[in-house]
Amino acid sequence: MKVFQVNGSTTLSLALFTDVTNSRQLLDSVQTGKLEPEVALLNASLIPDVFPILAAAHKALVSKSRESLTTRTLHSELIYNYSGSKHITESLKRCGISDDTTYVLAARFAASHDEMKDVEKLIKGKEIDLLELEGRANNAQIQKHYKITPQELAISSLADAIVCRIAARDAL
Amino acid sequence: MHYRLTEPPPAAYLHQHWSKKERVPTVLLFFYIIIMEVDREEKEGFGVLVKQGAEARVFESNFVGRRSIIKERFSKKYRHPLLDSKLTLKRLNAANFLHLCSYQEARCMTKARRLGVPTPALYGVDPLLHTLTFEYVDGLSVKEILLDFGSNGVNEERLDDIATQIGNAVGKLHDGGLIHGDLTTSNMIIKRDNNRLVLIDFGLSFTSTLPEDKAVDLYVLERALLSMHSSCGNVMDKILSAYRKSSKQWSSTMNKLAQVRQRGRKRTMVG
Repeated sequence: MKVFQVNGSTTLSLALFTDVTNSRQLLDSVQTGKLEPEVALLNASLIPDVFPILAAAHKALVSKSRESLTTRTLHSELIYNYSGSKHITESLKRCGISDDTTYVLAARFAASHDEMKDVEKLIKGKEIDLLELEGRANNAQIQKHYKITPQELAISSLADAIVCRIAARDAL
Repeated sequence: MHYRLTEPPPAAYLHQHWSKKERVPTVLLFFYIIIMEVDREEKEGFGVLVKQGAEARVFESNFVGRRSIIKERFSKKYRHPLLDSKLTLKRLNAANFLHLCSYQEARCMTKARRLGVPTPALYGVDPLLHTLTFEYVDGLSVKEILLDFGSNGVNEERLDDIATQIGNAVGKLHDGGLIHGDLTTSNMIIKRDNNRLVLIDFGLSFTSTLPEDKAVDLYVLERALLSMHSSCGNVMDKILSAYRKSSKQWSSTMNKLAQVRQRGRKRTMVG
């Protein structure tokens, strides 16, 4: 578990899990809104670095402060923003977890230590260090999802390419 | 990966720990608190002002732990409001127009990256405050480098490398149907760590496949080089020879460039 400062006042706590066995059950409670504490569960194979997550979180907090969230909660907004697309259902399907996801990144805004402990109990899997994100990411899937060309990768890191798409989504 | 916390330690904490344990003189403590106040003022704005232009202000700031640049567009206060609203496009009020400008710039920058032309990574777009947040690129502008060549002698090898990179980058942009619109040597930065060229300021850029627009883009660069850096020899020839190699549609652009040279940047509207 690691805590990051997103803007002046709000933090984002991240925890990465592998070999998760209860994603079906987690997905059920997410969809019925019964997940306690509320947490964003992301498909970690699409995440090569924490920086794009922090950029998506920053964007979500800006929308929240203006009461202009596109999705129902701040945490679903994080997943929607991370996808870099305008299609909400598709975003949540691809970048959120599905029935058979075993590799999951959990993210919670302004979480207390106890709340993150509860999150760790909620997810049945092995917690690993965030530094493993890069090695475990599915680069082919990322390039396909974000439509990243080989020319772009010659001049940019994968993480920066994703951040550009997250930032420019509303302009495109 | 190092993510730095931006928040300064709370004053109460400082007071406890500094004054009791380390016995920092009270004067110093006051000094620190004054600095913290200044910090706080900066945070309420966008950061430290780096440059102020006619249409935008540029600040250095921090974006979730990374050094960044914020570009804020503002409406031109020096024009009469009535004239201003007439000049801005019909149906759009000034605020809307500004955010469309930011959107256009964001779109063109990301398009350039997709074409393989290095530009700063875009971190955020704020339509309400008319700001764009970019990656901070550390290095000198081509303008500074060439001016230095002018006064301290030319490093031919480095000049060749820079000219080739400029030609390649502009060729790729134009082949992808993107016009930069303001190709001057101050809008090109050579990165300090790997000597790679990065194009900045897409505020005037647009998409077009017309040879006319491409030729004018090159002509603006040629004029800028002639007026500022004539002591560096003919840099434009080197740039154009690299452009020819990287752009597939070079020949129509070059023909047009010859015409543009004769008449200048503005097209004559007679006839």
